[in-house]
Amino acid sequence: MSAALTGFKSDFLKPALDPQGLARIYYVFAIAQVGESAMTTLLDAYRAIKTQPAQQIADTLLETSGSSPSPQAQLAQSIVAMWYLGSWYVPGVMGGGGFAPPPLQVVSSVAYTNGLVWQVMQSHPMGYSPFDFGYWSQAPAPLSSFGINTGNGGGE
Amino acid sequence: MSASTPHYDVVIVGAGVSGNLIAKQLGLAGKKVLILEGGLPVPDSREEYMDNFYLALAKTPESPYPALAGRTGSQQQPVGALPDPATLPTPRATVLSIGKAPNVSYLVQQQPFTELHPEDKNPQNPPADNNGNVRGLQFSSTFERNGGGTSWHWLGTSLRELENDIRMKTKYQHAEDWPVTYSELQELWALAEKEIGVAASTAQQEPLEVVGLVYPQGYQYPMQAIPMSMVDQAVSSAVAGMQVPGTLPGTPGGEDPTLYDVFVSPTPQGRNSEPYDDRRSCAGNTNCIPICPIQAKWDPTITLGKALDTGNVTVSYRSVAYNVQVNGPNATRIDYYEWARDSNGSLTKVSKSVTGKIYVLACHAIENAKLLLLSNKGKGIANSSDQVGRNLMDHPLYLTWALAPQPIFGYRGPLATSGIESLRDGEFRKYRASFRMEIGNEGWNFSKGDPYTTTMDFIQGTNNSNVNPPPGGDGQSVRLGGLKLVQQLNNIFTRQFRIGCMFDQSPLTENRVTLDVDPKTGKANNVDGLGLPRPKVEYGLDPYTMEGFRMAAFVCSKVYQAMGATEFTVNGVGGTGDFTYQGVNYHYYGAGHVVGTHRMGAESKTSVVDASQRSHDLQNLWIVGSGSFPTVCTANPTLTLMALAFKSASSILAALGS
Repeated sequence: MSAALTGFKSDFLKPALDPQGLARIYYVFAIAQVGESAMTTLLDAYRAIKTQPAQQIADTLLETSGSSPSPQAQLAQSIVAMWYLGSWYVPGVMGGGGFAPPPLQVVSSVAYTNGLVWQVMQSHPMGYSPFDFGYWSQAPAPLSSFGINTGNGGGE
Repeated sequence: MSASTPHYDVVIVGAGVSGNLIAKQLGLAGKKVLILEGGLPVPDSREEYMDNFYLALAKTPESPYPALAGRTGSQQQPVGALPDPATLPTPRATVLSIGKAPNVSYLVQQQPFTELHPEDKNPQNPPADNNGNVRGLQFSSTFERNGGGTSWHWLGTSLRELENDIRMKTKYQHAEDWPVTYSELQELWALAEKEIGVAASTAQQEPLEVVGLVYPQGYQYPMQAIPMSMVDQAVSSAVAGMQVPGTLPGTPGGEDPTLYDVFVSPTPQGRNSEPYDDRRSCAGNTNCIPICPIQAKWDPTITLGKALDTGNVTVSYRSVAYNVQVNGPNATRIDYYEWARDSNGSLTKVSKSVTGKIYVLACHAIENAKLLLLSNKGKGIANSSDQVGRNLMDHPLYLTWALAPQPIFGYRGPLATSGIESLRDGEFRKYRASFRMEIGNEGWNFSKGDPYTTTMDFIQGTNNSNVNPPPGGDGQSVRLGGLKLVQQLNNIFTRQFRIGCMFDQSPLTENRVTLDVDPKTGKANNVDGLGLPRPKVEYGLDPYTMEGFRMAAFVCSKVYQAMGATEFTVNGVGGTGDFTYQGVNYHYYGAGHVVGTHRMGAESKTSVVDASQRSHDLQNLWIVGSGSFPTVCTANPTLTLMALAFKSASSILAALGS
């Protein structure tokens, strides 16, 4: 489900050899925040449509075409935000005054450095560069090399 | 001196850039030195500070360093609970506390309209007085109080001042001259560039001869230059051939219609382009502020280590100086509190004293002024000029931001690698503040708190970033997920960039640091956790400085137009750093370049220290750091304040006799 919601490959989010175990950490963290039943309901909704193309799954669960998202879609938003930014945003709490809403907390240091948003910008987390001196003077590798799922397959 | 009071050749207050450099130079010469550092020791590993940074809700300059903001956010406290300065032994000014009341803000100062009247829907900026000055503004620069000091989070920019920067009064009949010659500074800068390890190429700097930047024949920096980022390259090619006039129509005081060339120069930087001084090359972590994770950027803990290696330097941490005792023309003793936290977390303190032949105050422009004013039972020392704490300056920073028409890949490389330095000098300095323009490599991180703000906008369908609705769309804010979210965010983030303009602000005697004490009773209003009075700060801008903002806004817009970029700069009203000039709203940030509070000069009637940063009043007291700068000039101050520290070290050695 997270792969579909985020637009990333599922084996990028949860590699076969997974020393960080972020998928599990996020799952446990989210349940501690919203409770088991809200998460189960969201996962059931996902399972009912899991064979559809990934983008369609994301649009359905996030209710991107609706006028205002349901509490279940807001939970899906918080899950996307957690993957992207490594922080937990309370579902339904919006930003204002020109800035993002306050996150409740950064899930962990590893969550920060594994935020997907840094991949989306073809870069690295601020404060955690895997690159070598001078890389910034040249264009980065293409977006497709940063774990993005450019195909249509569903996600686990 | 009592038999039990320890005695040193030199006692230094503050383990930052100046204090550590002077300690090292004296230690190498065999002098016995004690550094009193108010804050915590330099940690064995910076991993502790990195974790603080990763887990901070707001990645502000102070976020890696103790005391920390809370790690749980809420609507009321979006950045987490902030500690009350009255409970801390070494509270300091932080970005998160600017504009707040004294139960949050260490500096006691005028709060902005939006803090004082949060329910008022019509916020206002402070009015200008009869002379056009805007008073009652917030001093927005911050600093650290721990081993290593504020320059843990300096950017690394190591520009030299220009020749006319230090002779403004003679050349342009504005502000002050410095009491040192340019050729002497050139020799001192070379020493500082070697200590820091500045990466730059004199050949690349050569075009800046038009603003009077010249190097001695044959001078070479210690290592090759840092490559320009793709953002730099995009700006550089777009501005080729651009010229701007010295002043805009309507500039008070006079006109300078001369056309000045606009071009981009690579910035000399205190970060390694090759292994240097047992430290590795920069890996472009894009995190110089708040903290370089790999110490490729020089910071004062490196020089402190060398000072300790001499075997002649001792550091006493958690030791807050609160009195410099004087007797006639001599300082005779420093009194300090050694503090600790007991097992319940309660603060305890013991008063101690130390003596030396010579004393050096090196604990930051604001803290130096505070200590001088606090000494002698609050009557103050070294202040026959009445200039201690006055002429407080910063580089007020005007931030503009834009989206380039094509990807230019920000969020990569050091935070800044180039700037427009070609507008730093000209006849216009008679009429308006000069400025340098720093090109940012961190997208809209500084400008909008990105990547957080834009990401949440496209997840939640809000528009705090002003890019949702996306440019070129049908005008509706969207909520996205999956590949569409990836593509939209990639499209925005790879095109974001910003320019920060920093002004040579006028020295004003009424911009000042005093003690927050009741003038009638002499009792402190707000104190720190040790019971010491807190600094009270008064700040404002004059028309000369604000006219610089008007010009900077004009130049930034011209640069964005030349690039085909879309500008998104927003200037608020009524908040911290908001002001109005000629009917237009502007916003400034602090640059952390705190200057002027113990100005140097040739005359003891109008300045606090001489050219070697020695007190005019007390023959064995040196007061060092950027507080000695008579003007803030057009270069970031760290390189020059270290250069001056080399000069002070030589003069201290001469005074001690070898």
